[in-house]
Amino acid sequence: MNGLTIKTFYEGLKNKKFKAVEIVEEYYKRIAEKDEEIGTYLSLNKTDAISQAKKLDSDIENGKEISILAGTPLAIKDNILIKNQSVTAASKILSHYRGAYDATVIKKLKEKEAIFLGKTNLDEFAMGSSTENSAFKITKNPFDSERVPGGSSGGSAAAVAADLCVAALGSDTGGSIRQPASFCGVVGLKPTYGAVSRYGLIAMASSLDQIGPITKTVEDAEILFDAIKGKDSMDSTSIDLKLQTTNHKLQTPKVIGIPKEYFEAGGLDKEVAKALEEAIKNLKNLGFKFKEISLPYTKYAVACYYIIMPAEASTNLARYDGLRYGKLQITNHSPSQISGGNLGGQESQTLKEIYFDQRGGGFGQEVKKRIILGSFVLSAGYYDAYYLKAQKVRRLIREGFNEAFKEVDVILAPASPTPAFKIGEKITDPLSMYLSDIFTIPANLAGLPAISIPVNLKPNLPVGFQLIGKPFCEDEILTIGKKYENCLH
Amino acid sequence: MSAPIDEKTLKYLAQLSRIKLEEKEEKKFLKNLREILNYFELLKEVDTEHIEPLSGGTLNQNEFGTGQAITENVFREFEKEERGEKEKLTEQFFEKKDNFLKIPPVFE
Repeated sequence: MNGLTIKTFYEGLKNKKFKAVEIVEEYYKRIAEKDEEIGTYLSLNKTDAISQAKKLDSDIENGKEISILAGTPLAIKDNILIKNQSVTAASKILSHYRGAYDATVIKKLKEKEAIFLGKTNLDEFAMGSSTENSAFKITKNPFDSERVPGGSSGGSAAAVAADLCVAALGSDTGGSIRQPASFCGVVGLKPTYGAVSRYGLIAMASSLDQIGPITKTVEDAEILFDAIKGKDSMDSTSIDLKLQTTNHKLQTPKVIGIPKEYFEAGGLDKEVAKALEEAIKNLKNLGFKFKEISLPYTKYAVACYYIIMPAEASTNLARYDGLRYGKLQITNHSPSQISGGNLGGQESQTLKEIYFDQRGGGFGQEVKKRIILGSFVLSAGYYDAYYLKAQKVRRLIREGFNEAFKEVDVILAPASPTPAFKIGEKITDPLSMYLSDIFTIPANLAGLPAISIPVNLKPNLPVGFQLIGKPFCEDEILTIGKKYENCLH
Repeated sequence: MSAPIDEKTLKYLAQLSRIKLEEKEEKKFLKNLREILNYFELLKEVDTEHIEPLSGGTLNQNEFGTGQAITENVFREFEKEERGEKEKLTEQFFEKKDNFLKIPPVFE
């Protein structure tokens, strides 16, 4: 079963090479053997998963036609709600919370009878680029256990890379799907803003968040994207996609743009620069034309993002009042177990004291810092200088892409300035951690679809390249990506 | 746009954000926030004189001829839904009586 993809799992199941339950059990065995070391999962859903697989097997036995995702063992980032299952966003403040309903992406996948093996680790509330900000555990890079898997969807990317699931879902606000995909040598797609419903995704920054697939192949990313995309009445920002991405064929080779600012900044690691050259060479061999373009506002993207994102996050996280989602027992400023069903001996506390205690003790440092930063940039006197200014720069960044897309069809860029860095290397220097998102942030600010694809198949340390497309033109980046991965085999 | 964050401002912001900070955290946050605010100075050099702020979405997508833009209010049909979620949403509240959620007095 080594390295099963959605496609090969489906074919094996359809041709009765194996049963769904055998594969699901095999994955739980692998998880039991390997995950203590790698640390990808926060919770498992074993009983349900196995009974679902058994039911599917008996349906197949009875001659039922199955969907391409039937029985597929998936891992889900732990900021996406599955009804009755634990959902923590890797935060203590939600440590005992269970999903009250299914996220729309989960509902859609359940309709296709996909199986959820468990929930994966992330930076708390998806705030981070290394998964080191999880309140529960450190996830390690499957290629090198001293290195981070990237983040914030580090658990999902590492689970796919270590073959602890067939494929996974992540979420991407400033690169949280693409950067860990690059670090772990897997494929990660951030869809266009509005392509996938966020209903049931724990909100971080609502004008930037998107859910997307993390997979072993571009073909799998397309299958999973097709299954979760589309208009949803529960997310007013979702869009009715008229484009069909499956079986779409490129008529002529497309022109790929290379933004000079992404390469001349000098911040690009040698290994990454070398890998990018290799990717460009491979794409040229496939007949794609390249053209140098300019995205003049690139260098302002990180500053712009780290004003807008905390502003939105400080608002979104106001809902964690220490009451609605369960209450923590706070002693000496550190939370211990939850005290369900009563005030836990803290009856004398006023409402305000509860808020201060619960939020002070329940949120981790990065989350608290970003909430305070968000409150600052939104406060009277600073709003114009920071928040409004950032929104204006955001328009310039998007206009820069609009101009570029008049000349080229797709833009190629690094996914990250470096390969996976060492655990502990950047966690004490937030600014250097923030700067590692420089190549992924612009697509979020402009709402564009972007995919990270591994440059080669057997690297020492993986490097991904990024293809950024026009809004709702996922089919173009996916088609080029599929051609690329076919040429590697 | 200088970076005028001092201890007093930080304490005030923590108050506004309803977050209790330890003294150790205050020191660290002050240092980190000063660094990041300092970095934001970079935006000063961008001329945004006649630029409208952009809050997000995929406006302008009509330029690419790919469907409608998110520029209008979006409504959904009113329907009485029996999602069975009400109980699920409140069952994890820390203290309840009948259909009421119990909290300490809001007005002191």
